[in-house]
Amino acid sequence: MKSLLHHHRLKLTALFLAANLGLLLHLAAGSLKAVADWVWLDIVGEGGSTVLALVWLGLILKSRPAGRVTNLLAIGLSCVFFSWWIDLLDEFIRLPDSITWDHWLESAPMPVGLLFLTYGMYHWHHEQLAISQQMEKRERLFREHRLFDKLTPLGGADYLRKQLELSLQQSAREQQPLSLVVVDINGFDRINQRFGHDEGDRVLQAMTQLLLLNLRQQDLLCRLAGDRFVVLLPNTGETLAAQLAGELREAVGHLAHKSRQHGERVQLSATVASVMALQENPENLLQRLNLALAKAKRPLALSA
Amino acid sequence: MTVPCPWYECDSRFIAAHQQPATLIELCLSRGIDSHRLLRGTGLFVEDVPKADTLISPAQFLTLIENAERLLGADDSSFLFGQRLLPGHNGAASQALALANNLQQALELLGELRALLSPLLSPRLLLEDQHAYLYWLDSCGAGSQQRFLLEANMTAVVAMSRRLGGEHLPWQCHFRQAPPRYIEQYWVNLGEDLHFNRPYNLLRLPREYLTQPWPQTIQSTAQVACQQARQQLQQLGTQASLLDTLQRWLLRHVRQAPNLEHAAAAFAMSPATLKRKLHKHGTSYQEQHDQIRMLVALYLYQLKGYSNDEVAAHLRFSDATNLRRSFKRWTGLAPSALLALLRG
Repeated sequence: MKSLLHHHRLKLTALFLAANLGLLLHLAAGSLKAVADWVWLDIVGEGGSTVLALVWLGLILKSRPAGRVTNLLAIGLSCVFFSWWIDLLDEFIRLPDSITWDHWLESAPMPVGLLFLTYGMYHWHHEQLAISQQMEKRERLFREHRLFDKLTPLGGADYLRKQLELSLQQSAREQQPLSLVVVDINGFDRINQRFGHDEGDRVLQAMTQLLLLNLRQQDLLCRLAGDRFVVLLPNTGETLAAQLAGELREAVGHLAHKSRQHGERVQLSATVASVMALQENPENLLQRLNLALAKAKRPLALSA
Repeated sequence: MTVPCPWYECDSRFIAAHQQPATLIELCLSRGIDSHRLLRGTGLFVEDVPKADTLISPAQFLTLIENAERLLGADDSSFLFGQRLLPGHNGAASQALALANNLQQALELLGELRALLSPLLSPRLLLEDQHAYLYWLDSCGAGSQQRFLLEANMTAVVAMSRRLGGEHLPWQCHFRQAPPRYIEQYWVNLGEDLHFNRPYNLLRLPREYLTQPWPQTIQSTAQVACQQARQQLQQLGTQASLLDTLQRWLLRHVRQAPNLEHAAAAFAMSPATLKRKLHKHGTSYQEQHDQIRMLVALYLYQLKGYSNDEVAAHLRFSDATNLRRSFKRWTGLAPSALLALLRG
């Protein structure tokens, strides 16, 4: 709340002053209505709209970084709020018939505000396209922020399951192969022990960036659990999946991650495995992928 | 038949807040959880946590766990907590664990020092010809937090064995619950050998892995740490919870088929008091007795190869039919059906 007031002090002050000025003008020119003359339905309807406009403004200012699109939306919503506010004042204050400026005050800001809003939304759309491009390889087909893991941030296991369900249907429909690759960091527990769990979290974040860089545009990276990542590869057969898995393993081995505290290199390596989807459900496929990983890990456990 | 040592109950304050509870609090804070919301209802204040003399009760710890689980709202909370649990930061007890000669010694210490290392869920080690079994029973009435505790404690043992022994061990995990929605957390933290809908919660390991020497042992330091931990336990004045003590007593006297009156006499209290105390921990004498009889029956069937008649005689059932009926009530299946399931 504090940062909101801080960033948008000017806008909010201006709106506050304008609303007060409107109120003072009305009080100066008109007289208060008796309570008996109040029309409750209008008061609730117009008052509710006014409050809602203010809530929208607050949400927009709070949820968006400051900038051009935010300003356009804020101006638009401020005008809408002002227009409804003046409308609401009518319910309490009676102005003499000779006065006409109140109609202007009430009606003029509304179309202006709506134009600003429309223009702002149009640019918001373009901004969203630009942001979606950054989400490439992190989300496909649908968005659900509640299924995203807060640390990395990637889709979690539930997001992966939903995606798998859709992708399996799609691949069956289009007669295209679908493969999965799993990437598991070796000795992640040792990293946590040696460098602390905070550094372990940073390793996971670095791994996320690294893996994303090594994927194709249509691939999807999810964090299954802990230090285990899964890549969904649409239109990809067994051989290509195995090749991509090998590339990811090499990329992890070459990542020279530095610890925050002493800046020393954290040696990383990963075990990878891949499977191609047969006619099966997501749960079965994930199970098979997990067993393939366990098999790939076994010689490692014996040699350790 | 009396029980000599005193026990702790769910409202006895003896858990050092700066040890396991602090580990959970730190985990939550590192995930951006508000400390006031986390500690709401626990009777604990942030500024008291780092103090050496702040003690909380199992019930308070359980409330903390409930809050943490709700606020973190993630599937991996219990596993992250478990990874931090053992050997952990419990002073001498943790040091003794970290310096143990091998896994067997560590697991025996874990059992002996359970009031310090695992106050809410008591671990028991069972050694047989082929395998070692480590199983857990609720010792403070964990209620809906039982799953969290079990996941954390199993993860802790698996992670500790890997950390101190330096290799992945072929643990087999058995759970009473059905497969969870977030099975991937089990894969990553406990391995692939998972079995659900079992009559017990346990870890199984071939015995040869228990005696493989651990690299970082320092004999003299380990001995001193053990002594210190035992002293600490003595100062605590308690080694196990009421439920834990009762379970062990039932196990010892299972062949006499004791009833509530016998148990109350052994615990030097009236049957009504024992009943009330068990009720406070969300359980009853019947439930505890059934649980132990089921475990003993399974032990006799599976590891000793007893027949229905022999088990019935051992547990003082009038005949095999009666045993089968009770067994079905405990597990939902007749002995033959359950054993077939466990073998398959």
